[in-house]
Amino acid sequence: MTTFKLFLQQCIRSKEVWISLLLITLLGITSIIIGNKHLKRQQDAIAEVNTYQAQHFDRQVALHNEDLGLLLYYAKFAYINTLNPLAGLSIGQADVNPTVKRITIKTFEAQKYDTDLVNPMNLQSGNLDLSFVIIYLFPLLVIVLSFNVLSEETETGTWRLVTIQARSKLRFIISKLLIRLVLLYVILMFLFFIAKLVLNLTFNSNFFWMLGLSMLYTLFWFTLTFFIIIFKKSSGFNALLLLSVWLILIILLPAGINAYVSSKHPVPEALSTAIAQRDGYHTKWDTDKLATIEKFYKHYPQFKKYGYPTDGFNWLWYYAMQQMGDDDSKNQQEALNEKIKLREETSRQIASLIPNMHLQLVFNRLSGTSMSQQMDYLDATDAFHEKLRLFFYPKIFEKQHADIIDWNQFTPEYHETTSDVSPVQSMIPIVIASIFMILISIPMIRRL
Amino acid sequence: MKWTNVRLFAMNFWHNATTLKTFYFLYLIFILLTAFAAVSGIQNHITQNDIREEHQTKARQSWEANPDKHPHRMAHFGTFAFRINAALGIFDYGLESFTGNTVFLEAHRQNSVNFSEATFSTGMLRFGELSLSLLLQLVLPLILFFLGFSSVAKDRQNGTLKMLLSQGATWKEILFGKSIGLFTISMLFFIPIFLAVIIALLIFGQQAANDFLWLRLLLISCGYLSFLFIISSITIIVSASTGTSKNALLRLLGIWLLLVVLLPKSAQAMGNYWFPTPSKLAFQSAIEKEVIKKGDSHNPNDPHYNNLKDSVLSVHNVNKVTDLPFNYSGFVMREGEKITSSLYRKHHKKLINIYKSQNDITQFSSFINPFIAIKQLSMTMSGTDFSSYIDFQNQADNYRYQLAQTMNELQMEYISPKKKSGSEGKTHVVNHEHWEEFKDFNHQPMAFSKSIKEAFLALISIVLWILFTFWLLLFTSKKAKAI
Repeated sequence: MTTFKLFLQQCIRSKEVWISLLLITLLGITSIIIGNKHLKRQQDAIAEVNTYQAQHFDRQVALHNEDLGLLLYYAKFAYINTLNPLAGLSIGQADVNPTVKRITIKTFEAQKYDTDLVNPMNLQSGNLDLSFVIIYLFPLLVIVLSFNVLSEETETGTWRLVTIQARSKLRFIISKLLIRLVLLYVILMFLFFIAKLVLNLTFNSNFFWMLGLSMLYTLFWFTLTFFIIIFKKSSGFNALLLLSVWLILIILLPAGINAYVSSKHPVPEALSTAIAQRDGYHTKWDTDKLATIEKFYKHYPQFKKYGYPTDGFNWLWYYAMQQMGDDDSKNQQEALNEKIKLREETSRQIASLIPNMHLQLVFNRLSGTSMSQQMDYLDATDAFHEKLRLFFYPKIFEKQHADIIDWNQFTPEYHETTSDVSPVQSMIPIVIASIFMILISIPMIRRL
Repeated sequence: MKWTNVRLFAMNFWHNATTLKTFYFLYLIFILLTAFAAVSGIQNHITQNDIREEHQTKARQSWEANPDKHPHRMAHFGTFAFRINAALGIFDYGLESFTGNTVFLEAHRQNSVNFSEATFSTGMLRFGELSLSLLLQLVLPLILFFLGFSSVAKDRQNGTLKMLLSQGATWKEILFGKSIGLFTISMLFFIPIFLAVIIALLIFGQQAANDFLWLRLLLISCGYLSFLFIISSITIIVSASTGTSKNALLRLLGIWLLLVVLLPKSAQAMGNYWFPTPSKLAFQSAIEKEVIKKGDSHNPNDPHYNNLKDSVLSVHNVNKVTDLPFNYSGFVMREGEKITSSLYRKHHKKLINIYKSQNDITQFSSFINPFIAIKQLSMTMSGTDFSSYIDFQNQADNYRYQLAQTMNELQMEYISPKKKSGSEGKTHVVNHEHWEEFKDFNHQPMAFSKSIKEAFLALISIVLWILFTFWLLLFTSKKAKAI
């Protein structure tokens, strides 16, 4: 026990260590405040849409009471992606993807990918959230704290004393590293605790998985550092090598992989879908009305009873045309979905080899801010859209008045994101990486 | 200060650095990275532009394929504006992956620019993109730090410095000589990248060339040369003012981390915190409110349009709109488009100003961070920066306005005044030859005159940094100690 106390004193003696520990804690807290601001902004947007929607319907009903078809041309229904408070820790894709979608019952594909108001400069510089602090900066702290654990002893000449006095040289090094690990764990837990207070998080399993994975990730960097310092090179060399590893793992490899994935799998399908849905709808103004309506009834046989009105403009034909925007672009949509899945699959596979990338993807999935969860939300929006259509189509076709409908029932609806992360599976890549580092250190341990 | 001595130190530095085996190892890695970045930059530029041009043509073809129809149908048929990746985007991706690629242009509505790379990307994109400019801005400085951190500190530690100074060399000569030496080494890394860019531009650059392409490239090169000189000198200065080479290295790495990773991110985060972006709903409903106040052409009882109708009728001395010499509904839509567009532009400008305030923190941080200065200069001159994107949005919106108004005017001119409303059917139509007459959208990368205005701040801060570096070299040469 006394040795541990000694090691701790030795570790926190230097000014640099104190400064870096303080700095990371402050940055961690800042990042939590930034995450909180992000959540706050989303909550405000949700509150806004809740108050707006009722007014919006009141105005539309007042204007177009007798023309339900026209009313639904304008009426927008909000569908909200429920906020997971953990998103404050890992903002992920939530800054580029909207949390609130307001849709009309017209062609869905024309509205599906509408973006929020975003400043691209903010996207490029990225979010300073807690996941950034953990993934980018904690490894640096590991390096700063332990690059000279062994070399310092050799450089000041105390290593010989240690070899004589210590029972095991290995245990000596490991216990020195362990002190530092515990120190970082204390900071991690402190930051998560602050996050819990600031972001009003509940102590649920995802919260603990995030903490656990962060701890595991920190451990991985210790094993990596251990592997390098055990070569007994000089402190300067160790610092240089460790930082190069950091640069390669955290900046160069992901950047290179990204360049590879985006040029290997470009997404022209998105543009094709956009054009196909436009043409699908708009060309129907010039083609045979009967054919359009028949196609519509093929999709919805239950509406056949509304007949085939082909004289002049009528809403049945109009909404049949809008429907064709979605129906005629099905092939392109499927190709697009396939491509997105392919991209996701590719990056997931590659990321499982690189702990920091893997951790980022898992964090995003735990916080409901990943790409696949966004896709789920879009699919759910599609279902919500379909529900609205099925509700309103017969009412429009029967030329009902708008004030017969109870508009209060159309309060914004919510989508519940599910995080399908299997905790054990998400740990495996980091555990394997750590074990690998330990295994390749063994030959050097023997030569200590 | 004798120039022969400066040259001597520079050559000595060059010799020392290039005899190291690790130097060649680093160099090899850097060249490989350059090759990879160049190939993926070119490939990305070509495939993206091919995809967009192909779709621009496709969208145009279906526009032109429209039969005779009511012009208002065409105003809603609309078209797509595709953003073109400027030729210098091969070198500096800038915001390319974070800005939308296409926007649907139709009457009455300003749609969002959709389908950015970022929306179709997993969290990986946020780690960064490997471009040629990234290598120069981020990796090369680090290499220069590695090569130069011990240059003076080591001489001090092993006593060479004392000997040099006692033999008549001055601190000025040592510092300038070593800085120039390190700077010339940086040329070994810089020149291949620029050769690659020049070759790429010569072969593939015609497709979406920026105007004044070579002048832009010249400015970019001057920017990077200044930047590399600043970095080289700072490396030598830190090495000279730090006791041991280990501490010099740690200090330099600290500077790198602070200026490359932490400061840029915090600056943008601060901007985002202090100048919050409004929600989309707030933005849209503010416009909606003003439209209602000013005149809503979709409201049959709107006072603005009723007054308008009365005055138009009295000017033409008729009682009914169907007796007017032109189609009245086209006239109303033209008026409506004018009102909504001007309101939209007003609000959009406000929004852009909020974004600009957010970005200003980053922009002004270039005075304390040379990395930001070069990043801004490089991005702006390459035509991949924020202002270029806004320029695209404006081009697209102008085209959208023209499209809507041209169709409204066609309606006023060719559709019978008797047709009060509605655009369905084959009787009240306009000849399809008019569709071809309306020219396709063609995105022009932002003009040089605008780019240079945007880059002005960055240019000034680079000049100031050069002056500051010279001052720092002189200052250090007075203060530096031999032991």
